[in-house]
Amino acid sequence: MKVAVRGLRVSFGGAEAIRGITLDVAANRVLGIIGPAGSAKTTFLRALNRMNELKHGCKTEGSVLIDGEDVYAPGIDPVVLRRRVGMVFAMPVPLPMSIFDNVAYGPRLAVRHRASPHKTKAELDELVEDCLRSAFLWDEVKDRLDTSGLRLSGGQQQRLCLARTLAMRPEIILLDEPCSGLDPISTAKIEEALVVLKERYTIVLVTNNTKQAARASDETAFFLMGELVEVGATRKIFTNPSDKRTEDYVTGRFG
Amino acid sequence: MNFHKASQAVAVAALAAATVLSLAVVAFIIVFVLERGLPQLSAEFLFGLPRNMGKAGGIFPAIVGTFVLSLMAIGIALPLGVGTAVYLSEYTRETGLTRAIRFGTDCLAGIPSIIFGLFGYVFFVTTLRMGWSLIAGALTLAIMVLPTLIRTSEEAIRAVPASWREVSLSVGATKWDTVRKVVLPNALPGIVTGVMLSLGRSIGETAAVIFTAGSSFRLPKGVFDSVRTMAVHFYILAREGVSVEKAYGTAAVLVLSVLAVNVLTYWLMNRLIKRKAR
Repeated sequence: MKVAVRGLRVSFGGAEAIRGITLDVAANRVLGIIGPAGSAKTTFLRALNRMNELKHGCKTEGSVLIDGEDVYAPGIDPVVLRRRVGMVFAMPVPLPMSIFDNVAYGPRLAVRHRASPHKTKAELDELVEDCLRSAFLWDEVKDRLDTSGLRLSGGQQQRLCLARTLAMRPEIILLDEPCSGLDPISTAKIEEALVVLKERYTIVLVTNNTKQAARASDETAFFLMGELVEVGATRKIFTNPSDKRTEDYVTGRFG
Repeated sequence: MNFHKASQAVAVAALAAATVLSLAVVAFIIVFVLERGLPQLSAEFLFGLPRNMGKAGGIFPAIVGTFVLSLMAIGIALPLGVGTAVYLSEYTRETGLTRAIRFGTDCLAGIPSIIFGLFGYVFFVTTLRMGWSLIAGALTLAIMVLPTLIRTSEEAIRAVPASWREVSLSVGATKWDTVRKVVLPNALPGIVTGVMLSLGRSIGETAAVIFTAGSSFRLPKGVFDSVRTMAVHFYILAREGVSVEKAYGTAAVLVLSVLAVNVLTYWLMNRLIKRKAR
């Protein structure tokens, strides 16, 4: 197991958001997480790269093991962890800098922190091109890498964000409803990218779109009110779920 | 004409009148000063030394004194102000203490400048034995403009979207990386505005300066030399009836300097904003 979550509980200012979740993510697979709004899907995702703790009053219990090592253990630096566990947010958020600088942002910081060796201009160029290609964006932006990332369309911006995440060469990629603001064609491009990416990365995909989970994920987990109702092979969750609540949700009877 | 149409017309007229009146006052002052001052301007006036207590000659030392003093004040206040603003908005949570600090800063901004002058005189000039000097004046002005700098910087920093910070942190940036690479560059136009406001205020300041930087005519050779700013020069010329013409000449240069600083601000802001939107 690449990621093993054990008895995870997260609360904000005493209000419990995640009420004890135990869940595994296999290496080089896509785990889809579905569930109605407010079921703590995003909080779960942000527990994996320790982004929750940026909010005041957050308390996390249980453990998140990545390659067997607890990321909440004392001595684990969240800054280092976040380089291993990349994240794409629900809304496309390019940084207000050029397309090239957006993608190179993480790698340059890693060099500055001596977490990766010095990169020559050619190496950086190559990395940026490779990541933009992996995010299916290269052909659209290769002639204007020095224009602002803010000038791209929403769908392009989200693929830029994906490229920026890939540029850190993470082991795990967390996608938080990455297509919620995108048109069907941009969505298809992102999903297309995922199929290729899972050969190199372990992916956790939170989505409000159950059809997307059905299309893009190998395993699917159904969350409800901060609890894990059911997890299993995507085909099983969508055709023959064990729990009545899962069935109601995937068939659109509630949520 | 029915009632609501009439009230609408009255409101528009009143608002327009208020606008015209405020602009007219400003225009009147500028025209009044320039009309009397511009004829005084000459190469000798701008680049010459004063003669006969300022009755003749130029105001070059005052021009130098004004800009050196103001720039020194900003140079001292800027790192303190931006540092405070970053600390308050990025590294502390909103608590009673930060609210108290903010309230204190606002109060400080409302204190009359002569009180700062008095403080500067007692503390820098007398207690620290700096004497009437550039450094005492600059420190006093720095304290005076600090609240403005802190508040404008803080506003500018808060206006940087939280999502940018989050993205930066999510790709392995520390908080300090994020402040340096994302927050400050994008808060820059706002910070520049604060700097220019403070510069304008320093250039025109009289009360705080006359007590702390003194009123020496000579070109300063070091930070412990006394200087006379244009505002102080104007005050002395007019108050002591030395030369009304030269006083207006000085006022004209002062007004044009402040105008130039403002124009420079707009130009710089536009450039900064355009560069980002490229």
